[in-house]
Amino acid sequence: MSPRLARIGLFVAAASAPVVFVLVPIAAFLIMSFWRVETSQLVPDMTVANYAAFFASDTYPRVFIETLQLCAIVAVIGVALGYPIAYLIWRQHGRLRYVLLLLFAIPLFMSYIVKIYTMRSILGLQGFLNQGLVTLGILDQPSLLFIYNRLAILLTMAVIFLPFAILPIYLSLERIPRSLVHASADLGGAPLASFRYVILPLSAPGTIVGALFVFVLALGDFITPQMVGGPSGFTIGRVIWSQFGLAFNWPFGAAMASLLLLVAFVVISLAALIARRQRV
Amino acid sequence: MTVLLELDAVSKSYGATEVLRPTSLEVKDGEFLTILGPSGSGKTTILRLVGGFARPTAGRIRFDGADVTNVPTHKRPFNTVFQDYALFPHMNVARNVGYGLMLRRRPKREIENRVAETLEVVGLSGMLDRYPSQLSGGQRQRVALARALVCDPRLILLDEPLAALDAGLRRQMQLFLKSLQRQVRTTFLFVTHDQEEATTMSDRIVVMNVGHIEQIGTPRDIYYAPASRFVAEFFGDNNILGGTISDGRLQCALGAFPAPPALVEGSAALAAIRPEKVRLGTAAEPADIVFTAAVIDVVFAGAITQVLLRPNASPEAIITAKLTSGAAIGSLAPDASVEVRIAREDAVILPAASP
Ligand SMILES: Nc1ncnc2c1ncn2[C@@H]1O[C@H](COP(=O)(O)OP(=O)(O)OP(=O)(O)O)[C@@H](O)[C@H]1O
Ligand SMILES: [Mg+2]
Repeated sequence: MSPRLARIGLFVAAASAPVVFVLVPIAAFLIMSFWRVETSQLVPDMTVANYAAFFASDTYPRVFIETLQLCAIVAVIGVALGYPIAYLIWRQHGRLRYVLLLLFAIPLFMSYIVKIYTMRSILGLQGFLNQGLVTLGILDQPSLLFIYNRLAILLTMAVIFLPFAILPIYLSLERIPRSLVHASADLGGAPLASFRYVILPLSAPGTIVGALFVFVLALGDFITPQMVGGPSGFTIGRVIWSQFGLAFNWPFGAAMASLLLLVAFVVISLAALIARRQRV
Repeated sequence: MTVLLELDAVSKSYGATEVLRPTSLEVKDGEFLTILGPSGSGKTTILRLVGGFARPTAGRIRFDGADVTNVPTHKRPFNTVFQDYALFPHMNVARNVGYGLMLRRRPKREIENRVAETLEVVGLSGMLDRYPSQLSGGQRQRVALARALVCDPRLILLDEPLAALDAGLRRQMQLFLKSLQRQVRTTFLFVTHDQEEATTMSDRIVVMNVGHIEQIGTPRDIYYAPASRFVAEFFGDNNILGGTISDGRLQCALGAFPAPPALVEGSAALAAIRPEKVRLGTAAEPADIVFTAAVIDVVFAGAITQVLLRPNASPEAIITAKLTSGAAIGSLAPDASVEVRIAREDAVILPAASP
């Protein structure tokens, strides 16, 4: 093989990686969502029966909507916690800044399961939170207020996905030239006004991206609801998961997964549009 | 003229390095004052201290008689034109220019009128809806100016505002800035490292050299009476001749020049002579020093021709003469021997070491 051919081959291989690893599985899903199951056998077909069954059901669409709501709230909490943290890191000087940034990025390298167990040991009946509140005399006895409910899911997901909110927000803050902040102050902007009119709008795209990351990650997370959610942990992720496992109805699972993908796609496109309109 | 801004023994250190020695400076109301100096001499540092973006290590800054040393930037009643313009990328021209008025909670109509007026002054009417990314460098420059002017500050700080422009636009903006300053009667504190720019625009110039002021004066003062060797070499070209003081005169290889009485007998000193004061072969005046030299090179530069000369009496000292171009000079060939004359009073005599 000539070097030129080799180079072309390498390029094709590199360019095809996303196709093979992203587009092919998605296409497989989409195609499978039109199949059906007969006596525990997958039968290729072109039926919309799976989608019809989803919309006809009186539980699944509700679970779907509730999951979207849940993930939206997680995204809001993630940004509400992530923005102040990113902002405070950005305001530091020199080495402290990078130490703090690293500190908040470390959870990215930790196992997901470990993080969930950590949250459980904080929020659980014998958890730090309960023990602390009992010791302080705020609670008489440990409470189930923080675990096996919706609140537990929200808090756990928001904390686990926090770095994904902090990093894009921090990056967008760091891209703001200091001279713009100086110019705002120079023209009479008190710190709060400079934040409102310059820093906040210029970091909006990163903030939207952070919210999106958290939203999409939460949407795909079916383990957290199961581990800390108790009865309210019945999210669409778990429904899909069960269709692939216990129920052995892959086409139906694939149909719901495709709908989820569609929602994620619409949300991301909307956010991209908003970010573009910010002109930064 | 009254003093508008006063720096009183202001200094600035970062850690152990003193980037600005205790410096005192008075900016008069309505003047165009330029801080001129090579890179790293502390020009921006002074502007940052005045603007409130950094705090002085020692000394006081007074504006219109009031001490503003510790007043935060947003409460200082003057505005800055930044070197990189610092226009808000998410606001159009109208909102950029109106920003200061918006913060002052002026009524919407007043803001619109003031913005339109100011944009007209800087020659940018009809660009209200453009975003900074849709403007040329010169237009951004004008928006930055308008944004600073719109609040009617009594003092505007400009940090090398023309450095990013190409030569043609730069000349044009120099003339524009100067006439604008006359028109709005605002005090300009202008920073540049370009000697010609400083000369053409300023009422007075502050020449800086690593962390201190070397000289303050009108462009003429500084050109004709540089106070130190640094100023003589940095501000326009000068021929420097070294020598010693004896009998109240500077004795150097090419002749003797009368020295000011402040210079101590026996001390090293130098004569600074402008290249345009060096004459070739013209009639001798009684006060001239005269010597013969070999022509090294003749460089034609339009109206002016530069002649490089090597004096026979002092071959290591290369003398530059700037002469009006003409047939006689054009025919000068390298290696020709010429008679060179310099009027004694055209030499500025300075101590060799900086004070
Ligand atoms: N934040 C800082 N920390 C440490 N040193 C600094 C800081 N800011 C400036 N300096 C130093 O102070 C000196 C003067 O800097 P300044 O920016 O005032 O120079 P300048 O005259 O504006 O130069 P230029 O023409 O290159 O803009 C330089 O040696 C610079 O390295
Ligand atoms: Mg500078």
